[in-house]
Amino acid sequence: MHEMSVALEVCRMAEERLGQDASRLVAVGVSVGDDAGIEPENLAFCLEALLEEPPFEGAEPRILREPGDGLHLSYLEIIDDDSSND
Amino acid sequence: MTVRTIDVRERIMAKNDEIAARVRARLAAAGVPAFNLVSSPGSGKTLLLERTLAELGSEMRIAIVTGDVQTQNDADRLARHTDQLVQAVVTNGACHLDARQIDTALDAVDLAATDLLFIENVGNLVCPAGWDLGETAKIALFSVTEGEDKPEKYPKMFRMAHWVVFTKLDLLPHVPFSLSRAVDIARAINPTLDFLMTSALDPVGMDEWLGFCRAHARRGVPV
Repeated sequence: MHEMSVALEVCRMAEERLGQDASRLVAVGVSVGDDAGIEPENLAFCLEALLEEPPFEGAEPRILREPGDGLHLSYLEIIDDDSSND
Repeated sequence: MTVRTIDVRERIMAKNDEIAARVRARLAAAGVPAFNLVSSPGSGKTLLLERTLAELGSEMRIAIVTGDVQTQNDADRLARHTDQLVQAVVTNGACHLDARQIDTALDAVDLAATDLLFIENVGNLVCPAGWDLGETAKIALFSVTEGEDKPEKYPKMFRMAHWVVFTKLDLLPHVPFSLSRAVDIARAINPTLDFLMTSALDPVGMDEWLGFCRAHARRGVPV
């Protein structure tokens, strides 16, 4: 029921970490405990909608199920511009 | 171009919990006990608070923060019974209050002139269980017009609560509700729960609850 609030917080956390690189986000991993009171498909739907909007450019939400009641932002995947590492 | 993975592994509630800790510290510094009233819609939170203000308003200073998805009707109802502050938070669709909203609402509350703070959460037995507001304790209201198995259906809320306040006891003769069965089911979910019985429409139905409020209010300057 509060999946949208959780999705908004995930996006806030991602934006806080990535700053101007938020547009290079390609995937967001969110761990959802079986007893977390979160409906995974609903959370993925909310994230999908929010990650379409700036500063993001269509990153993919990946929901990872785990035992317990934990709820974590697990990882962020971003595209690195290799030329900047040369 | 290559894809790089940044490991985060941070709790999604971390920010809310950080603000809740700040709220808890503010309340502790002021010595104000704060109770977060949670329940399903229509269980009688607002009426319980109306009666509480009417009965105790002359002996202690009670501030209230109410949360509603839309309208500030509850805050308006409560404000008629007190000169103390009733602060309305309209969540605009969100199904719960969060710690940031309480932190902001407290900016308008004179905590030094408050003996007891109630937070009337959005009527919902699911979401408010997961959001720490910095309260002293959650109190779950449970009306006798609901099913006795509510604690089984919404176990997290009843695990998070310290007290259960049964409401609308005046309706017991008219509804198929076993109080003892409801207590047993709630205790099976959370053995440490304490129970209070109320009937806001019965002249003596509030005595136990009012005694609870008196026992927990800050011993401040007399009103």
